[in-house]
Amino acid sequence: MRSKFEEVKKIFIDSINKDNYVELDSATYNYNLLETSLLKPLKMILLYGRPGTGKSMLLNKLYHNLKEHREIHYFEAPILSEKAFLKEIYESMSGKSVPENMRVNFDGLLKYAQSLRGKREVVFLLDECQLYSEALMEKIRLLSDTRVVKFVITLHKTEDEDIVAKEHFKTRIWEVIVMKNVTEDDLHLYLQKKLIKKGFLEISNMIRKKDIRYIHYMTNGNFRETNKYLYTIFGIYEYYEKNNPKKISTKKLSKKILEMAAIELGYINA
Amino acid sequence: MHRKIEELEKRWYRYKLKMLMIPLGSSIVTAFIGSGGYYLYDRHYIHNIPKTAVLSATKEFKEDAKKESIKVAKIEPKKIKKKSNDILLEPIIPVIDLEKEEAIRYPRRVSSKRKEFYKHLVKAKRNDYLTARELASMSRVESATSSKPHVMKRIKLQSTSNNYIETMKEKFAHSHSFRDALLLAKAFYKKASYKEAEEWALKANKINSKLEDSWLIFAKSKAKMGKKQEAINILAKYYAKSRSLKAKDTIEEIRRGKI
Repeated sequence: MRSKFEEVKKIFIDSINKDNYVELDSATYNYNLLETSLLKPLKMILLYGRPGTGKSMLLNKLYHNLKEHREIHYFEAPILSEKAFLKEIYESMSGKSVPENMRVNFDGLLKYAQSLRGKREVVFLLDECQLYSEALMEKIRLLSDTRVVKFVITLHKTEDEDIVAKEHFKTRIWEVIVMKNVTEDDLHLYLQKKLIKKGFLEISNMIRKKDIRYIHYMTNGNFRETNKYLYTIFGIYEYYEKNNPKKISTKKLSKKILEMAAIELGYINA
Repeated sequence: MHRKIEELEKRWYRYKLKMLMIPLGSSIVTAFIGSGGYYLYDRHYIHNIPKTAVLSATKEFKEDAKKESIKVAKIEPKKIKKKSNDILLEPIIPVIDLEKEEAIRYPRRVSSKRKEFYKHLVKAKRNDYLTARELASMSRVESATSSKPHVMKRIKLQSTSNNYIETMKEKFAHSHSFRDALLLAKAFYKKASYKEAEEWALKANKINSKLEDSWLIFAKSKAKMGKKQEAINILAKYYAKSRSLKAKDTIEEIRRGKI
């Protein structure tokens, strides 16, 4: 017999999947803002925020929602090689494969894009753009200037990347959507929806307001950290369920286990 | 996994202990620092008080002490007054005792002669009867018979002190007792104020006509004033009604000229 908590634990495995997207007020607001921005004649849109604030998830959601209606391409993993990147862009736009022994000439790509002005509009969703070189970013900007190719890029907000974001994209970015950590209420909603969606209403009811407060305090409302934390919590529950069921209650979350998980993840220095 | 969870539990217990110890330790340290700081401050303060401050404080203290002493001096008479109030709470002292009280209040001023004089004074009490001792103090002669205080007829009032008579008069004014009237009659008779004796005997008799002594004093006073026949007639009337041997004896004495 499989453990109930083993199943619950799996829900919190951090993965970018449209099925894992949870409708929250803040996320919906950002999604609508992003979709509206795509309708405007903007060259570049920046999704900007700390890791785990839901940028990739939002990008993924946008791709899956629009792929049937628009010419949209999603680069989930960053393509660090300039050659591979240009090849990928060309193949996505033309629908043709570039032979192995050939490479895409940037000037040629630019001319190809200019030739499509007024005829087509292609959207590229680029995740983890902080990994792209400055030279490649410059080429992205030039491509976006053709008004044929539109880029939605995501950037991590760290001290160094903040400078990149501000200095490098200052004159090129037309729209900036800042992604933030969620509030306690949104976090509660996030966990409830996530659990109920998978049929764990009983587990959802175990999480009380004060547990949410504690989880939020530990994770600072960050989705990635929350998922990691909940995964660890239910991992411990899974162990007790299998080895010492008397130690756990199925009515409320154990403070001890919350603290143990926090110790395990280094949130608490024990 | 098993070891991992066990290790995690141990870490959790350590963490809880730490969480318990931190506030406890910090409160102890805070208390220690606080008390130490206060001790140092206190010492520093004591050793660094300016001389001028000390002088002014001493001056203030002296002034305060002076004020206090004045206050105490003011309070003292009140205390004495209270003491006198206590005395007032004691039972009411008879009139004669008031004079004694005077003697207690000013004991050094009283001369030996005066003391002798006080000895002969009759003590008055609130009740209507005089005790055997009180009556005995009236006369040395009669003091021998004072062992029989109930024989009032034998008592001859020795003291004729004006003070006594006035006191008894005041007492009678309040009491209207035939005994007081009779005592006054006897006192006047003793004093040879026969007219007053006659009057007071009559007053006593009007209150209580069966009072034998009032008849006797009345008759004897008449006899003393030369109205022997009238006295005999009065006593004869009384003898006819009461068959008193005393009245008969008195008639005999008047006839023989002893009274």
